[in-house]
Amino acid sequence: MKRVLVRSVAAVAATVLVGVLAACSSGSSTAPATQGATTGATGADTGPLKVWVMGDVGPAFQKATADFTTQTGIGIQVDAIPWENVNDKLTTAVASGQGPDVVQVGLSLLPTFAAAGALKDLSSVIGNYPGLAPANFPDAVDPKNLGSDGKVLSLPWISDTRVLFYRSDILTAAGFSTPPTTWDQMEQVAKALKARGDGQYGYYIPLWDNTLPVQYAWQAGGDVVGADGKVNFDTPEFAAAVDHYLSFFADGSAPTASDWDQTQGFVSGATPMVVSGPYLAKAISQAAPELAGKWSVALSPKDKNGTSLFAGSNLGVWKTSTHVDAAMQLIDYLDKPATQTAWYKAQGELPTNLKALDELSKTGDAALAVYAKQLTEARTVPMVPGWDLIANEMATALTAIGTTGADRGTTLKAFYAKAAQISSNY
Amino acid sequence: MTSTSTVAPPGAAFPRVRRPRRSGPANRRHGSVVPYAFVAPAFLLLLAFGVLPILVAAVVSTTNMNISGLADSSNIRFIGAANYTRLVHDPEFWHALSNTGLFAVVGVPSILAASLAVALLLHRSDSRFARALRAFYFMPAITAIVAVALVWGYLYNSQFGLFNYLLSVVGISPVPWLSSPTVAKFSVALVAIWRATGLNIIIFLAALQGIPKEYLEAAAIDGANERQRTLRITIPLLRFAIFFVTITTVINWLQFFDEPYVLTQGGPVGATTSISLYIFQQGFRYNQFGFASAGSLVLFVIIAVVTLVQLRLRRRDVD
Repeated sequence: MKRVLVRSVAAVAATVLVGVLAACSSGSSTAPATQGATTGATGADTGPLKVWVMGDVGPAFQKATADFTTQTGIGIQVDAIPWENVNDKLTTAVASGQGPDVVQVGLSLLPTFAAAGALKDLSSVIGNYPGLAPANFPDAVDPKNLGSDGKVLSLPWISDTRVLFYRSDILTAAGFSTPPTTWDQMEQVAKALKARGDGQYGYYIPLWDNTLPVQYAWQAGGDVVGADGKVNFDTPEFAAAVDHYLSFFADGSAPTASDWDQTQGFVSGATPMVVSGPYLAKAISQAAPELAGKWSVALSPKDKNGTSLFAGSNLGVWKTSTHVDAAMQLIDYLDKPATQTAWYKAQGELPTNLKALDELSKTGDAALAVYAKQLTEARTVPMVPGWDLIANEMATALTAIGTTGADRGTTLKAFYAKAAQISSNY
Repeated sequence: MTSTSTVAPPGAAFPRVRRPRRSGPANRRHGSVVPYAFVAPAFLLLLAFGVLPILVAAVVSTTNMNISGLADSSNIRFIGAANYTRLVHDPEFWHALSNTGLFAVVGVPSILAASLAVALLLHRSDSRFARALRAFYFMPAITAIVAVALVWGYLYNSQFGLFNYLLSVVGISPVPWLSSPTVAKFSVALVAIWRATGLNIIIFLAALQGIPKEYLEAAAIDGANERQRTLRITIPLLRFAIFFVTITTVINWLQFFDEPYVLTQGGPVGATTSISLYIFQQGFRYNQFGFASAGSLVLFVIIAVVTLVQLRLRRRDVD
């Protein structure tokens, strides 16, 4: 135990150090930005490919690509990067100019690293891979919706979305036999569940969740990016989203504790509804297997529509890679329906390939069917650089209004100004 | 005995000393190199890891350095003092600065008083129990911060935390330890105070052991009671230790980072964001290296000024 802790602290320290060094070296060096990006069409490119994947999936990835290596002779070296170090690791790679060949980039980090020029434009080679054509994937991750003016900087890999998790036993006991499907019902059910007693709430809104208000704005029929491609929150739709968001705090149906535990609250029943991703299903099954059958998932409640978040990760080819051919073959392989289905079964990460999604949703797993359906009505976070910072400012502003009684008008106004300023800084 | 050595040059008084003198010039040259050679490694390290980064940060702070600048140096532009004006106009910067000020104002006297009091008590006995207690008080200082923060996070938790449970047992309504912007500041500071006392207790104990017993005995014979002996003899003689602890504690609070980073990530609504955490987030979370460098330079100047003022006060004190 102690050793694990010591090691984790050492890792944190090392990360910080690497970050500092990266920042330092950047000041003095002229990073070798592009070098030898040519791929000789002569002979087969057998790599070996350096692949960076995120999270604890190293061995599984190695296993999933074993067939690929035997078929093509392309060797693969996998580095699994812990999620909390991803930004540092990628930043360091950008600074040093030494990256992998293929890299997994979360959709929320994509705008930053795409704008930084860390990823290679694949538009000239993508035609050779019919399996990678945009028609095979949801619209949300069509390259033309990922804001890179005609370039193809990344290709879809795994998906993730947000749906409504609810405790069917508690809702039924409160007189609701079906989950809420509209905003109004949502507010009504949450309020009724709150009335169960002291310490009981209706709906958990994570205060750190910096996408939920944006999903609400989409559901109200709006957007947070204007026609000019700049962020704009000063719209009637975002105001409606804020109204909806704050209503749960106004009537006390959402807890205001910043350290509320999502899984614990759901399992104990204190917060019997929460909007979250498939990972929560895994967490609930692990924390409370005895709860099976007492909870379920449903599509996001609608206002004008039921648009949810399209999260997940894309795969990109690092700008300095000299193995574009082999890299594309690997991505093509990873995006095949069979590989994607196998990956879901091994890792629980949802596919992006529509055929694989369709196949999985017909396996009789009700939750899977809901995820697959929600993915067809989902959008990625806005692909504007600095989005992460803007989104956190939004979450902070709304938390201040909802939980500490800050004035809505002035707080939002300050946030609008801040958001505009952030986008001008990037 | 000192007078003999000052009156007569050592060479004249003791012929034996002459031999080394014969190789005088060479020795002197040697003498001029050797100290530098000894100092050089430490000096080079200081230069490489102390001075150079500050200079680099100073240069970077005048540019728009961000992730695009890292990727391609042609994206880096010189923007003069723009980062500094932006900093001055950023309410969050002032919020973080005032948080840090509050932490220091509350934290420095607390740590000083707590560790001095514990050290004085521990010093009263040398029994096995007292020695075990010393080890006990030193524990927080050697425990990894991540472990400490995890455990305190559980203690503070609003859903299943021990503190709120204990309060509920005696019928007190739950306290939002980490959720209320005001309470969270003190909760986070408390962990830091608890952690910092360990090392300072050891420093005070060492200083206490350096106080000659004769002084206290003489005072006791003269009829001074315990309180008088502590206030008039022990504490004045601890002046240097107190000064040292004050300076290091002030600097530590100005650089306050670990506890809020692990416990609250600076929340709720930025209530526990210290200036160091603010700089870290701007730099390494949002990749605004130029802006963050400007912030770190401002922090550097603040710490330097505060420390110089303390040193100046101390000099007056000695005079």
